Amino acid sequence: MNPALQSYFPLAVVIVLAVILGLTLLGLANLLGPRRPNEAKSSPFEFGSRPSGLGRDRFDVKFYLLALLFVVFDVEAVFMYPWAVSLGDLGWPSFVVMAVFGATLVVGLVYVWKKGAIDWSRE
Amino acid sequence: MPSGQDIAALLPFLLLVLGALVLMLSEVFLRSGGRGYQSGLTIAFAAAAALAVPFAPQQVLFGGQAVSDGFAGFVTMVVCAGLALSALLGRGWLETRNMERGEYYALALFGASGMVLLGMATDLLLAFIAIEVMSLAVYSLAAYPRRGQRPPEAAFKYFILGSFASAILLYGSALYYGATGSTLLSAMRGGGGALLAAGLSLILVGLAFKVAAVPFHAWTPDVYEGAPTPATAFMAAGVKAAAFAFLTRGVLAMVAGTPFAVGNELGGVLGLLAVLTMVVGNLFALPQRNVKRMLAYSSIAQAGYLLVGVIAASRPESRAQGTSAVLVYLAAYAVTVIGAFSVLAVMEKREPTPDAGSADAWDVSRFAGLASRRPWLAFAMAIFMLSLAGVPPTAGFVAKLSVFQAAAGAKAWGLVVVGVLTSIMGVYYYLRVVVAMYMQPAEMEEPAAAPPTVAIAIAVAALLVVVVGFSPEPLTAWARAALLRM
Amino acid sequence: MGASAETVLFWIFAVPLIASAAGVVAARNPVHAAMSLVSAFFWLAGIYVLLTAHLLAFVQVIVYAGAIMVLFLFVVMLLSLTDAELGLEKLSALKWVGVVGAAGMLVLVVSALAQSGPRAMRAVGADFGTVRAVGRILFTQYLLPFEATSVLLLVAIVGAVVVAKEKI
Repeated sequence: MNPALQSYFPLAVVIVLAVILGLTLLGLANLLGPRRPNEAKSSPFEFGSRPSGLGRDRFDVKFYLLALLFVVFDVEAVFMYPWAVSLGDLGWPSFVVMAVFGATLVVGLVYVWKKGAIDWSRE
Repeated sequence: MPSGQDIAALLPFLLLVLGALVLMLSEVFLRSGGRGYQSGLTIAFAAAAALAVPFAPQQVLFGGQAVSDGFAGFVTMVVCAGLALSALLGRGWLETRNMERGEYYALALFGASGMVLLGMATDLLLAFIAIEVMSLAVYSLAAYPRRGQRPPEAAFKYFILGSFASAILLYGSALYYGATGSTLLSAMRGGGGALLAAGLSLILVGLAFKVAAVPFHAWTPDVYEGAPTPATAFMAAGVKAAAFAFLTRGVLAMVAGTPFAVGNELGGVLGLLAVLTMVVGNLFALPQRNVKRMLAYSSIAQAGYLLVGVIAASRPESRAQGTSAVLVYLAAYAVTVIGAFSVLAVMEKREPTPDAGSADAWDVSRFAGLASRRPWLAFAMAIFMLSLAGVPPTAGFVAKLSVFQAAAGAKAWGLVVVGVLTSIMGVYYYLRVVVAMYMQPAEMEEPAAAPPTVAIAIAVAALLVVVVGFSPEPLTAWARAALLRM
Repeated sequence: MGASAETVLFWIFAVPLIASAAGVVAARNPVHAAMSLVSAFFWLAGIYVLLTAHLLAFVQVIVYAGAIMVLFLFVVMLLSLTDAELGLEKLSALKWVGVVGAAGMLVLVVSALAQSGPRAMRAVGADFGTVRAVGRILFTQYLLPFEATSVLLLVAIVGAVVVAKEKI
C-alpha cells in the first residue's frame, strides 16, 4: 500500500473505535436503562416551562451574517496551515507574504468590528 | 519572491485595492461628517491607477501568470475611466436617495481591481480569482439599495446564474489542468487532445455567460433593470471590458499554438455565438419601450459585435486589426453606455420603491418632449443613442467600423453582412428615444434637475463620444500600439 | 496487492458518497438534505486522501463540513420553510430540458475522458498533494493568486455586510 496512506492508519483506527464506542454506549443504555416515562419527563422542558411557539422558528438574519464571516475567516485560517508547514523551507519571504495576506484581512476585521456587524446588541 | 518590477507592473491593481481599503475604513471611522469626499477619493484612486499604467514595465509577471502589456494597460484605462464616471454618477444618484455609503465606492473599487487583474491574467487560476473578485463586487452592488423587490431579485438572479457559470468555468479549468499539467494559457501549445477540447469548451461557456452572449444571456435584462442605475452602468462598461479582454487573450493563446484542428472548430463555435448574439439581442430590443431594458438587450447585441472582433483577431491575417478593433469597441461602448445610463438616472422616477408602477419608471414616454425642456440633456442622450446605433460622427460608429473592417480583413463576409443588417435594425429602437425627445409633446411632469456630478459625468461622456467620432485617430492608434504579449 | 487494497478503500468511500449525494437531492426536509451533504463531504475527503490530495482532504473537513455546513443550516433555519411553502415537486418542461442538458454535459466529459485514456494526465511527483508541497507551491509559484485571494475574501466581507446587515 502507498506509504502516504499508511500514515492514515491511526486515524482510521480512531474513527472505527469512535463509531464502535458510540454505538456500544447507545446500545447498552437502550438495553440496560430502566424506562418509566411520565408526563413531566416527556415534556420538552423537564423543569416545567411550557414551550412557546414552534421549534422551527425563523432565525434572525444576524446569524447568517455571522456564519458568512466565520466562513471567510475560516478560509483564511486554512491558508495558514500549509504556510506553517512549509515555513521552514521557504523562510522569511513567505513570512512577509503571509503578513501581507493577514494585514489585508485585518482591515476587513476592523471594518466589520467598527461597523457593528458582530455586535449583537446594537440596533 | 516578486521583484520590484513585478510590483510596479501591478501598481494599478494595488492602487485600486488600496483605494477600496481606504474607503472601507473611512466609512467606519469618519462617521460624523458628510460623505461627499467618498466619490472624490474613488475618482482620485481611479486616476492614480490610470496614471500608473504608462509607468508599468512591459513584461511577463510571476512566471507567466500575468502580463503587463499594452493590451492590459488599455483595459486598465477603460476600467478606470468607467469607474470614475460611475462614481460621479453614483454620487448624484445615491445622494438624492439618501443612500450614499462608503461600501458602494469600496465595492466599485474592488470590482475594478478584479477587472484590471483579469485584463492582465494569462493563467486560468488567477483569472478565476479575478473573475470572482469582480463578480462578487458586482452582485453586491446590484443588491445595494435593498429597497423594494427589484434590487434583491436582480442580485439573486445574477448571483445564482453567475455562480453556476463560475462553476462551469472552474470545471473546464480542472479539465484543462488535467490535459496540460498547467493552468497557464500558454500550456495549451503542447496540445491535450479531447480532454483539452472539453475543458476549453466549458471555459468558453463560462466566459460567454460573463459577456452575456446568446444563449447565455437570459440573466441580463432582469439584472440590468433591477440593479441601481449607477451599478448597471458600471457593470455594463467594466465587466464587459474585462471579460472580453480575457476572452480575447484566451482565443489568441488557443490559435497561437494548437496543433490540432480545434482552431477551425472554435472559429465555427464563436461565429455561431456571434451571429446568435447579434440577431437575438437586436430582435429582443426592438419591442422594448422600457429604456433601461432596451439598453440591457442592446448590451447583449454589442457583445455580438465584440465577438466578431474576437473572431477577426483569431485569424492570422487580421490578428492585429481584430485585437485593436476589440479594444476600440470596448472603450467606445464603455463611455457611451455610462453616458446613456447617466441620462436615464436623471430621468427615472425617484420613488423609493419603483416596484409599484415599475414599467413606467423607465418608459420611453418619460423622454417625450425633453428637447424643449432640457435641450442639453436631450442632446447628450441623442449623442449616446446615435453612438450605440453606430451612426457617424460618434465613437460608436468608429468602433463598429473598425470591427467590420477587421472582419472584412479576415474575409468573414457572412459576419459582416449579419453585423451591418442587425446594426440597421438597431437604429430603429435607438432612434425611438430620439424621436420621443425631439418630436413628441411633453406628457410627464417636469424632470428633476440633474445633480451637478451627474451633469459632469454626462458632459464628459458626451464630449468623449463626439471627439472620438470626429477624430478617431488617437484612439485607434493607441489601440494599435497596444500589442498583445503572451 | 497494494493496488487492490486501494481499490477496496475506494469502493468503501465511493458507494456511501453516491448514496449520501443522492440523499441530498432526494430528501424532502432541507435539514436532512444538509445532513446528507455533511456525510457526502466526509466520504469525499476519504477519496481525496486516496488521491494523495492530503491538504484538500483537510480543507474538505475543516471548511466544507465545518464552516460551509454551518452556513447552510443557518440559511435553512433562516428561511424555515414549511412543507406547505415548499410545495409539491413538479416536473415542468424546463426541468426536462435541464435533465437533457446535464446528461449532455455528462456525455461530453465522459467521452472526452474515455478518448484520452489513462495516459492523458501527466505523472506527478512523489510528494504531490502533501501539505508541505502545496505550501511550497502556493507561496512561491502561485503567490499572486494567493494574495489576490485576500482581496476576494475582503469583497465577500463587504458584500455580506451590504446584503445582510440590517442597517448599513
